[in-house]
Amino acid sequence: MSEELVKVEHLYKEFDEGNVILKDISFTVKKNEAVAIIGPSGTGKSTLLRCLNYLTVPTKGIVSMGEVSVDAEHHTKKEVLELRKNSSMVFQQFNLFKNKTAIENVMEAMLTVLHMNRKEAYEKAEGLLKKVGMLDRKDFYPSKLSGGQQQRVAIARAMSVNPDVMLFDEPTSALDPEWVKEVLETIKALAKEGVTMILVTHEIPFAREVASRVLFMDEGRIAADGTPEEIIDHPEDPRLRQFLSFMER
Amino acid sequence: MFNTSYFVQVIPKVFMKIPVTLEIAVISTFFALLIGVIIAVIAYYRIPVLYPLTRGIVSFTRGTPLVAQLYFLYFGVAIYSTLVRDMTPTMAVCLVLSINVGAFMSESIRGALMSVDDGQKEAALSLGMSGFQIITRIVLPQAVRVALPPLFNDFITLIKSSSLAFMLGVADIMGAARMEGSMSYRYFEVYAVVMIAYWILITGFGLVRVRLEKHCAEAF
Repeated sequence: MSEELVKVEHLYKEFDEGNVILKDISFTVKKNEAVAIIGPSGTGKSTLLRCLNYLTVPTKGIVSMGEVSVDAEHHTKKEVLELRKNSSMVFQQFNLFKNKTAIENVMEAMLTVLHMNRKEAYEKAEGLLKKVGMLDRKDFYPSKLSGGQQQRVAIARAMSVNPDVMLFDEPTSALDPEWVKEVLETIKALAKEGVTMILVTHEIPFAREVASRVLFMDEGRIAADGTPEEIIDHPEDPRLRQFLSFMER
Repeated sequence: MFNTSYFVQVIPKVFMKIPVTLEIAVISTFFALLIGVIIAVIAYYRIPVLYPLTRGIVSFTRGTPLVAQLYFLYFGVAIYSTLVRDMTPTMAVCLVLSINVGAFMSESIRGALMSVDDGQKEAALSLGMSGFQIITRIVLPQAVRVALPPLFNDFITLIKSSSLAFMLGVADIMGAARMEGSMSYRYFEVYAVVMIAYWILITGFGLVRVRLEKHCAEAF
């Protein structure tokens, strides 16, 4: 039990009257696990990820991360802020702060959320940028970086707050094919290090290689949950088989 | 016939009033910016009650002539308000210009705030940053860059609009010219000097605006 870093219980998300995107989602993520969420477009994968840090507020259900537990029906601003401190997210569109250089992007939350002093934050940011292979571009503004470089800075930024869990929302979907590999390599290295992560992706071979567990989502539910071998190599669910064969084309 | 010596003689008389015009413009710009920021932030966050109220004020201010607003305050409201009655003409002009230009500036500022994409705000939220940190460290620095060129245009408009101050008896560029003209009846020479004075002012600030736009475009 103590190994469980993330626990999602009976999570629902309804956008408009009757438009239920997430239907009774429950799962747990253990420390050092890399969980990939796959599934057809529009099945609620990104919504689920956004509900985990309350960028999208769920309609019903409980999200727990570390010691923090938030009930969608009775949550406070303070609880949400605490929940967010336990995770960090890497977005499809990178979402770097355009008015800050690469290193300033990485330092920002260290200064404002962790209240580190500038020198300490700078040194740590340099270390993180080195880790993602971006130290030589530390003084560049996002507008001067390629998509792949921006995403690597975004990964370093997400790591800056020492999150228990990293959430990746289709991190390579907005990239030109030439930049995909460098970002996937960076994520793969993190997974190897034992960083706990939940990753929404359409890159099935990547999910197969990196994830220790794969969730298949279909029509707002988790339709299959298992190891990459069970889900990708030997799929039992007919919808999953159909999805995988479509992705292979 | 054009009287060159009189024209030359009037130049210092009119030009020495440039500080008065600039004083009105600078004071009004300061308060217009303050009003503009407050209205823009209310609109940005759509604060209940205040949002429809400020929308109404902006619509009314933008939909009525500046001269009418000036007369309404100085001669109309003054009947019922000792505060307005006790105002100097310069103060009244500054007040009306601040509200009028503030309404226009609020739209530029609101547009600039909206120009910062939600993705950056979401990224900041996901890192655990507070709303105040997001607005002060992420949104405003970017919004300022977008808003500065149109705000500078508003400032230039304000300099031109300040010429209406003479209608309340303020001795600015126009006020000095009107007095000079009423004595000499050489309106052509007098108002030619006025035109040149404003043209130099506006062109000067126009050059500053060009540099500012370039700087903003290259900022990040």
